[in-house]
Amino acid sequence: MHATLCDLMTDMIQNAVEADATMIELTICGTEEHLEFEVRDNGKGMDRETQAKAIDPFYSNGQKHAHRRVGLGLPFLFQTAEAAGGAAAIESTEGKGTLIRFRAKTQHVDLPPFGDFAGAAAMMLTLMPKGEMKITRILSGEGYTLSRSELEDALGGLNSAGSLTLLKTYIASQEEDLRKAG
Amino acid sequence: MAKLTLNDLRKLRDETKRNMSQRSTEGKRAEVVIGMGTCGIAAGAKAVFDAFLDEMSKAGIEDVTIKQTGCMGLCFSEPTVEVICNDMPHVVYGNVDDKTARRIVREHLAGKALVSDHIFDKPSTDIIKNAGK
Repeated sequence: MHATLCDLMTDMIQNAVEADATMIELTICGTEEHLEFEVRDNGKGMDRETQAKAIDPFYSNGQKHAHRRVGLGLPFLFQTAEAAGGAAAIESTEGKGTLIRFRAKTQHVDLPPFGDFAGAAAMMLTLMPKGEMKITRILSGEGYTLSRSELEDALGGLNSAGSLTLLKTYIASQEEDLRKAG
Repeated sequence: MAKLTLNDLRKLRDETKRNMSQRSTEGKRAEVVIGMGTCGIAAGAKAVFDAFLDEMSKAGIEDVTIKQTGCMGLCFSEPTVEVICNDMPHVVYGNVDDKTARRIVREHLAGKALVSDHIFDKPSTDIIKNAGK
């Protein structure tokens, strides 16, 4: 299992990158009752049969690793949601993209810790080799959005240690402001 | 910390660039690629990413890029990190934790010496281009 919710989100973003998405949107909404996030991408998508198999931990399409018999990313997501009083869902159309939804009870004892969002978001924004990624964070009605293209423009490239450090600082300042507002 | 705007970020970038140009760098050039598949994430790749970033910032190493990739086929030795330096052998390190990541920065990227006890050769053959054909 993943240790934090940020790890789960990163895993879903990595799936979208491997599906050749050029546009990825992560939206995270937190209230006192529920924590929800969704990842929407325009990657290669899945047919109905593959969607059903994707939540089976003993299924992998074998395209990247020919002899592999497990695929744990989506099963981790579903297991965590269900253990924490919520649910997860996949909506996908082959050739068009995928939408992954996660919902859990904020106060549930089995909900993993949220994690270090500034560091995780910096990683997620730099997982894509090219294309646009938007991350929207909403906490009790207040929020902010990060755009990969805007941040890349401001920093002149995202993958140097200096840029990544500034990116983390920038996101941490948004988080701090959001928590104060909330 | 006050909430930063994109303009603040541009100013910070320019300030950092000015500071960097005042240091006597030796023109190191390398790429660090961290495995960020389900296996890598579950094994602690985020902590490794943070450690690389922190140690590289402390060492003032600015001309090394940090990238991420999916599973490299070495799930048993996650977190894995590939280091590609122009003038050194191309290696994959396995079982990298916070401490090892900092050693890789100090010994490999700055000191140009391999961290031999964590070398796992190269990515698994099933993901190398044309493998098995």
